[in-house]
Amino acid sequence: MARRKTSNPHPALVLALGWLIPGAGHVCIGRAWRGVIIFLVIGATFWAGVGMGGVLTVDPATERWWFYSEMCAGAHGLVGWRRQHQFSRDIQKEVQEVLNDMPRVRSKAEEQEQRRFAEDSIQAERGVALVYPTDVVARAYAGVAGLLNLLCVFDATVLAAMGVRGEPHRRRDVEEGET
Amino acid sequence: MTAATLFVNPIYLSPTNQLWLMLPLLVTVAVIHKTMRTGDIRRLLRDVLALVAYMAAGTVVLAVVLWLVMTYWPRG
Repeated sequence: MARRKTSNPHPALVLALGWLIPGAGHVCIGRAWRGVIIFLVIGATFWAGVGMGGVLTVDPATERWWFYSEMCAGAHGLVGWRRQHQFSRDIQKEVQEVLNDMPRVRSKAEEQEQRRFAEDSIQAERGVALVYPTDVVARAYAGVAGLLNLLCVFDATVLAAMGVRGEPHRRRDVEEGET
Repeated sequence: MTAATLFVNPIYLSPTNQLWLMLPLLVTVAVIHKTMRTGDIRRLLRDVLALVAYMAAGTVVLAVVLWLVMTYWPRG
């Protein structure tokens, strides 16, 4: 059977797509089923983490290194970050209202302490405060999803750079081809 | 807990049972690893099960070794 001739995708395109949409890198190099499995598993793991930890799971201020690994999950990480950013903005507005009602403090350190206390109180009041052990488990899930996507992106990019396209030949196929 | 609060509010996890949540993570790692590495995609399930068993056994052995060290290591 004649094979349709297709050009290999550029490794940079595979890298960018694979990062943005987990599994898309593998789809680009002609491994569609692998791409679908990667997409489903990484998405499920990331959102299982956010489901456990809530909106503050993806938090660049509190857990910087987990945040970096969560960002490796591409669109999932970006959506999680966007939600956290919007939520934090609302919290900050409330914090400012609370601070306006409080007596003025002299030093900057005291002001920061007051701000932190108000922020924690509002988070606890809303029921979104992320505490042990939920924070560890939730961030581990979301972060591991990101790191696994990083592996997938590297795999697809290296294969694209090597000019590999499609599924690898199975041994039986190769033997049948030889005879 | 309603669906609306599921991705906003954290859920309560028991500190004593949280280690069980490592198992789905092991499965995730195994699926992703074998999805990339297996030669024949039709053998994926078998390969994943073997790797999960291998990783779970390794984790249990590591836990036992660490427990023994923590329990019997002479303290100065």
